[in-house]
Amino acid sequence: MSRNGKIILLVLLAAAGLSVAAVAARRGETDHPVARITWDGEVVEEIELDRVGRGYSFTLESQEGSNTISVEKGRIRVAQADCPDQVCVDQGWIADGTVPIVCLPHKLVIEIVGGGSAFDAAAG
Amino acid sequence: MARRMGARGGTLALCLALALSLLGGCARQEEKSQRQLFAMDTVMTLTLYGEGDTRGAEEILDGSVQQIQWLEDFWSAVRPEGDVARVNAAGGAETEVAAPTASLLRQSLELCAVTGGALDITAYPAVKAWGFIDQEYRVPSQAELAELAGRIDYRQVSVDEGTRDGETVYTVTLPAGMELDLGAVAKGRTADLLAESLAADGVSSALLDLGQSTIRAVGEKPDGSPWRIAVQDPAGTGYLGVLELADLAVGTSGGYQRYFEQDGVTYWHILDPDTAAPARSGLAAVTVVSPSALTCDALSTALFVLGLEEGVQLWRDHPELEFQALFITDEGELYLTQGLEDAFSLTEGYEDREVTVLS
Repeated sequence: MSRNGKIILLVLLAAAGLSVAAVAARRGETDHPVARITWDGEVVEEIELDRVGRGYSFTLESQEGSNTISVEKGRIRVAQADCPDQVCVDQGWIADGTVPIVCLPHKLVIEIVGGGSAFDAAAG
Repeated sequence: MARRMGARGGTLALCLALALSLLGGCARQEEKSQRQLFAMDTVMTLTLYGEGDTRGAEEILDGSVQQIQWLEDFWSAVRPEGDVARVNAAGGAETEVAAPTASLLRQSLELCAVTGGALDITAYPAVKAWGFIDQEYRVPSQAELAELAGRIDYRQVSVDEGTRDGETVYTVTLPAGMELDLGAVAKGRTADLLAESLAADGVSSALLDLGQSTIRAVGEKPDGSPWRIAVQDPAGTGYLGVLELADLAVGTSGGYQRYFEQDGVTYWHILDPDTAAPARSGLAAVTVVSPSALTCDALSTALFVLGLEEGVQLWRDHPELEFQALFITDEGELYLTQGLEDAFSLTEGYEDREVTVLS
């Protein structure tokens, strides 16, 4: 390959790399699933689900009430909550970004960003 | 020699320009912006790809959030200053309302009529009595239910207009003892109004998820493919199928969405206006697809109340409503109106499920 050919190739590769990086940065997403836990829109915890070794649980308490969250490799759920409707507990595990777990009475949302998902939304 | 170098330099510049334009085009087309908010008793997720013609994505989303909060103030029965709450508290007196409220009420009343009252926007006293507003759940007695059912009648709602100082003024009158509940229509209308605003801004790709029960797609995905909307299995936690669609809305009503249990019986939030008790029609869930999210929202509720047979008849009798439906029975059987045949497919693990296409 000629010198100019190499330069062209390098420029194209660099542009392609930049393009991917730019898109990824803008979307704020990664290839790996990250569970983002928010209270009324404020991020309280981010967990890289791929890096979870042994499963564990922890409890988040606020003025609104408490939610005990269980984490395993690749998935997350609300194991216990003192909210009246128990919708967050009944939802069980989530492993992708199709739908978040929402505890409406406590304004708690657990969503999985990154890692991709098979669906854009869920009707239900 | 000099000429050859020039040619090569030109090629290089061309490639560079091409690569940069690709980079720019790619980023502009696929940039994803998202907003999540608590509103209308659910959590909403607004996803927008790209930008508007003159406004950036973040500014547009700020506008969408404001629009939702503005409409919620009008239409929530628990916001005392709102149109609905003021009508409910008026004790039969004529109440002035905003134009968006009058417009929503008029369209909702038409949908109540076309469904023969299976949808009724005056069920608030009954919804309250069951505890679905304050979560103090209870089962009213038969006598109480009969009395509550007597206070559900959309035909008693009147929406009028007049002029004052050259401006149109809208008023609503409701007999004392009756109360409006726009829970089955407000999110649908909100989704339609948001979609209109986004289109006016030049947004060509967006997904408005107003809490799973109401979803509105604007355009298609940025890569030109349809949106993939999973359909919840009402009997479990998985997704039994997927709807692929563009520029359409999806509305779902199911007994599993909001319910309580007492003495081994499950009571859900979708009430039959005739009995003021949870509708038990043999359906576990209904999903409606239509260009109008209001139609989806209203008709999913009405079809859930009507049941399969009468629901299908409504679909056959009213092609002008431009809707298609997926019925899921208590036994898990799937019935699909013809227009959804190509858009719907079963997901992995549900391939054995029998699907009947209705024509």
